[in-house]
Amino acid sequence: MTAAPLNPNVFKSDLKPIWCPGCGDYGVVQAIYRALSAVGRPPHEIAFISGIGCSSRIPGYTTAYGFNSVHGRALPIAQGVKLANPDLLVLVAGGDGDGFSIGGGHVAHAIRRNMDLTYIVMDNQVYGLTKGQLSPTSPRGLKTVTSMYGSLEQPINPLLQVLSFGAGFVAQGTPADMAGLAAIIEEGLRYPGFAFINVQSPCVTYGEEEQQLRAHKTRMKTLASLGHDPKDYLKALEWSTHYGRELYTGVFYKNPEPPPSYDALVRERQKELSKGALPRERILDLFKKG
Amino acid sequence: MASDIVIGMAGSGGDGIVSAGESLISAVASEGFHALMTKSFGPQIRGGESSCRVRVSTEAVHSAGDSLDVAVALNWDDFLKFGSELKCGGNTVVVYEEKTGVAPDKIPLPGVVPAQVLAVPLADLTKKAAGTEKAKNSLVLGLLSSWLGLARASLTKGIERRYAKKGDEVIQGNLKAFEAGFTYAQEHPLQRPLAMAAPKGTPTAKLITDGNDITAAAAIFAGCQFFGGYPITPSSEVMQLLSRELWKYGGAVIQAEDEIAGIGTALGASFAGKKSMTATSGPGMSLKTEILGLASIAELPLVIVNVQRGGPSTGLPTKPEQSDLFQACFSAHGDVLRPVLAPTSVADSFTTTVEAFNIAERYQTPVIILSDQEIAQRKETLDPIDTSTLKIEDRKRPTEAQLEKYVRFAASDDFVSPISHPGMKGGAYLGAGIEHNESGAPSASGAVHARMNEKRFKKLEPLKRQTGLVSVEGDPAAELALISWGSVAGVCREVLAHAKGEGLKLKVLVPTLLYPVPEQVYREFLGSVRAGLVVEQSHQGQLYRLLRMFIDLPKGVQSFARSGANPIQPAEVLAKLKELSFGLQSRVEDERRGDIE
Amino acid sequence: MATRGIDFATLTIKDALDLALLIEEEARDRYQELAEQLEAHHTPEAAGFFRKMVKVEEIHRSELEKRRVERFPKEPRGVTRAMIFDVEAPEYDQARADMTVRAALEAAMTSEKKAHEFFVQALPRLKDAEVKELFLELGAEELEHQKWVQLELDRAPASGDARFDDSDEPVAH
Repeated sequence: MTAAPLNPNVFKSDLKPIWCPGCGDYGVVQAIYRALSAVGRPPHEIAFISGIGCSSRIPGYTTAYGFNSVHGRALPIAQGVKLANPDLLVLVAGGDGDGFSIGGGHVAHAIRRNMDLTYIVMDNQVYGLTKGQLSPTSPRGLKTVTSMYGSLEQPINPLLQVLSFGAGFVAQGTPADMAGLAAIIEEGLRYPGFAFINVQSPCVTYGEEEQQLRAHKTRMKTLASLGHDPKDYLKALEWSTHYGRELYTGVFYKNPEPPPSYDALVRERQKELSKGALPRERILDLFKKG
Repeated sequence: MASDIVIGMAGSGGDGIVSAGESLISAVASEGFHALMTKSFGPQIRGGESSCRVRVSTEAVHSAGDSLDVAVALNWDDFLKFGSELKCGGNTVVVYEEKTGVAPDKIPLPGVVPAQVLAVPLADLTKKAAGTEKAKNSLVLGLLSSWLGLARASLTKGIERRYAKKGDEVIQGNLKAFEAGFTYAQEHPLQRPLAMAAPKGTPTAKLITDGNDITAAAAIFAGCQFFGGYPITPSSEVMQLLSRELWKYGGAVIQAEDEIAGIGTALGASFAGKKSMTATSGPGMSLKTEILGLASIAELPLVIVNVQRGGPSTGLPTKPEQSDLFQACFSAHGDVLRPVLAPTSVADSFTTTVEAFNIAERYQTPVIILSDQEIAQRKETLDPIDTSTLKIEDRKRPTEAQLEKYVRFAASDDFVSPISHPGMKGGAYLGAGIEHNESGAPSASGAVHARMNEKRFKKLEPLKRQTGLVSVEGDPAAELALISWGSVAGVCREVLAHAKGEGLKLKVLVPTLLYPVPEQVYREFLGSVRAGLVVEQSHQGQLYRLLRMFIDLPKGVQSFARSGANPIQPAEVLAKLKELSFGLQSRVEDERRGDIE
Repeated sequence: MATRGIDFATLTIKDALDLALLIEEEARDRYQELAEQLEAHHTPEAAGFFRKMVKVEEIHRSELEKRRVERFPKEPRGVTRAMIFDVEAPEYDQARADMTVRAALEAAMTSEKKAHEFFVQALPRLKDAEVKELFLELGAEELEHQKWVQLELDRAPASGDARFDDSDEPVAH
């Protein structure tokens, strides 16, 4: 993708976000505008699929073709979009509940299929839109309206899960470091396969004080500053096990030799096989005997 | 003196409008009034526009009422956003913040000539009395208390309780604001006095709750031991209350990973012998459809609450609608019959939920409770319910003898077989979604399949004859009728009361049991009927169409239906009935004159 | 407060002027965004102050643009908005529904302080003398802005009545 950069405002729609002032998602959408402007594809060539939740409202705040679908099903829908038109730049977004709870069953398969799309999860350890229930990344012991005596469940580790499913690009960021966030989103967009970006995007209404962006600034450590090499898959797995305790930002893993994406392979196959295609009007010849 | 007042208030979330409404309903309930409160909001999570309606009455009320008697607009932009939810009319006293700068003869309510318009310096009065504008909601309560002659002592006590944790300065500030409002109102009496009469009978303090909370409480009462669910607006509160209380009864609650796991865990608990429940809204019902079918063919008791919201798909998450009836009755692959019940009010949600558990246990079937956002999230006062009159049923369990050679789906006169559960010696069986014979072994035999379908359908026949599941009120010989269900039934019950006052002979049928359709009850009801309305909140008029599938509705019975978020109010139903009645009259006269047939 | 792809050592006066005006532009746009957010969340007074800041930043921006255009009328920009991140623009985390005017002023103060910090920190890395002069000037101006904000802060009502806050609970959708 060697298009010239566009003005980030080209990607900003007129719809006013319903997000509470202070919500991390404002930073995320701004970082997305920046990343898209760097990549240079025009809005009408971008499809932005999401599920249901506060963060899933994000496609409506861009000028791309958005699809705010149903809870947890953004990934299958996005894969359908990509395969129907592999030339599109396809973005997928949602929250941690949308992606890893109800949507959990789809993650492994989207990753192993490895289409060229970029999945951004806004991880805030709570269900914000429905008023503050437990989410799959809520820490054990967290008290919420559905866990008044403290959650009895271990949180899932989205980074470890996605790495273990074999994703070729895994990164984490926070709006507390806008430059870093825009950079990893841009890198994910450019990665020729399934790219996963977990964003610690705090909920200003239901989140704890320690989770807000000011706290991120003191807590965060860039993987670069820890001397991490994103080509090192095993080390990436190790760093990812610190999820929940540490806030590591940057690229955990980037496959130095990305295999061809599913959509690229499909395109090749379509080209190959089209040479032997019957004309449509004669399709019934398939059933000729002898 | 007034006996029934509807107050509507709107402002921004920061104004504490809903808090004021809650204080009001709490105070009037403690003084023995009947009250009902609904809320409505903008799309923001916080800091959006906010409104509430509080209806206060000396007698029981069944709906949110008609146009407002008192409208309080803290600012006009927010008030107008609520449209017909805060309808003003010729009876309305409009009170608004003077600082909005709008002249009293130029208030933005086109086509409305209110009874009185008052521009009140709400913010300034509050600032003067309490030192801050933030106690505005207490000032408004003072105004209302004086104008309505209502609950002064309870309101001030409520203020003390409400702000107790915030310290004395805050309590005193709010009390001063209340007093300032009270005094202002005394100095500016209303042209049309709205002072309320005392509640009828001996006023006893009432309970206050909403449909979701009382449904959860009813489940506990009925012996529910397990809840599996997933957060979805507007049903999450059912799960929330149970997640707080059910442990205390040896029960368990799981907020599952998704809707399917929600009903899956609940079904598992039922298979293990426990009464269990799940709760959701439209989108969740769609996801749960497959396991609902499994529950039916496995003949397992299960209660499923659907708090209906605007559809289809994501629809209108915070608005009530009655458009999931078709889904509740028919959404299944294969031939499935499962009971569908609908409560009509908060109090009724208690008894209906208990009965749902009974029906589920008695017939070993999933039972769907169709509530809606209106009932689920509106606060109502209730007189205490005498739970000693409510019976609780348990599933038919096998005897020792039957366990000697247990046959899970054994044929019986009532088509209900005794059901065992893991842990019961001798009772092991294979539960399955695959068609099976009497022993539970998989079978693809046509004869077995026909027999099993018959069993699963026939066992529910007695339900259609069960008394107490359809209510009929009004003049039994009336030619004019209303049929309605769920929250809209309350509107029709009020129409009945109005009709009596206007000399209109009317009868009203409200089914708690929507499906299977108790045909005989309808036939008897409709015997005298020549015109009427099936009143409901859906674009398709789903009950009207459902009834036409099973009974011959008289030609003169029409559908009165519209999409959710367009509240149906008593006055318009009454107007339509009068039209129909007039039509009936003129046909009678024409017939007499021999002009027709 | 960060940049990407800017080499301070080789920064020319043209690029420095462009950088300065883009910083004001970013701040202007951010104040605009925050004002809209707060208006949509019924926080008019703080929104009103942010709208004032939109005008203030626009004045700074257009003054710098005038200088740039006078000096380099036709030369294209080598520096873009994509290269700066919240240099002077207040961070999204600064806004809250129901925030007071005082809190909004404090957000503005934080922004002016970090802008000042930006110019001062860059000084040792700058090689071009004219650019150094410009950065010194801009840093001093940010100090002036801080004084103005401080005056407003001194005038702003104390947030004493937060305890009286009786906002409705957040809503589920």
